[in-house]
Amino acid sequence: MELDALKKATEEFKALGATFIAISPQLQSFNREFREEKKLTFEILSDPGNEVAQRYGIKYKLPEDLREVYLQFNIDLPKYNGDDSWTLPLPARLVIDQEGIIRYAAINADYTVRPDPEETIAALKNIMGQ
Amino acid sequence: MELQKKLNGLKKGFEAQAPKEAVEIMHRATDDLRDSGILEQTVKVGDRAPDFSLTNADGQEFRLQELLSEGPVVLSFYRGKW
Repeated sequence: MELDALKKATEEFKALGATFIAISPQLQSFNREFREEKKLTFEILSDPGNEVAQRYGIKYKLPEDLREVYLQFNIDLPKYNGDDSWTLPLPARLVIDQEGIIRYAAINADYTVRPDPEETIAALKNIMGQ
Repeated sequence: MELQKKLNGLKKGFEAQAPKEAVEIMHRATDDLRDSGILEQTVKVGDRAPDFSLTNADGQEFRLQELLSEGPVVLSFYRGKW
């Protein structure tokens, strides 16, 4: 759902001179499936074991009871992610300027809350001086 | 906030048909995560973004530093296709 919305925003990001990149812990094959199903126009990179997510301070481990719930709903994270760590990244959207500095960060502990793409576009325009 | 409206609709629909126990576990896990202090440990505005090199869906490598040489980067961490 979020990436669907960001697909539309990708063109605006591009027009502003920026690159949009998604990162997921899932295996490359699932990223490929997802890209084809949704006809995504941006890159989805695989982050095995959530190691990059860890460096960004957003990696977390699912509690035991929640793992059971996920399995009930056929969300077999070890299958999708190719490891049995049961870790995920917090949903996070960041804008990084050309100096490598984070200029916008929308990170939420509640995965059902996501910032509107318009907010990210506004942040990008701001750093581009527009 | 079109996106959030859609997400709220999805959540409502899901919680109306999901087992009550499962919904309770999910809510508690989200509350615990919020209370865990994780949000104090994340990268913040003004921090240098940690560099990385990861492969795309075709196995091609992408490095943050190289992408930045072309322009700003919008990065989105997401959980998975499920």
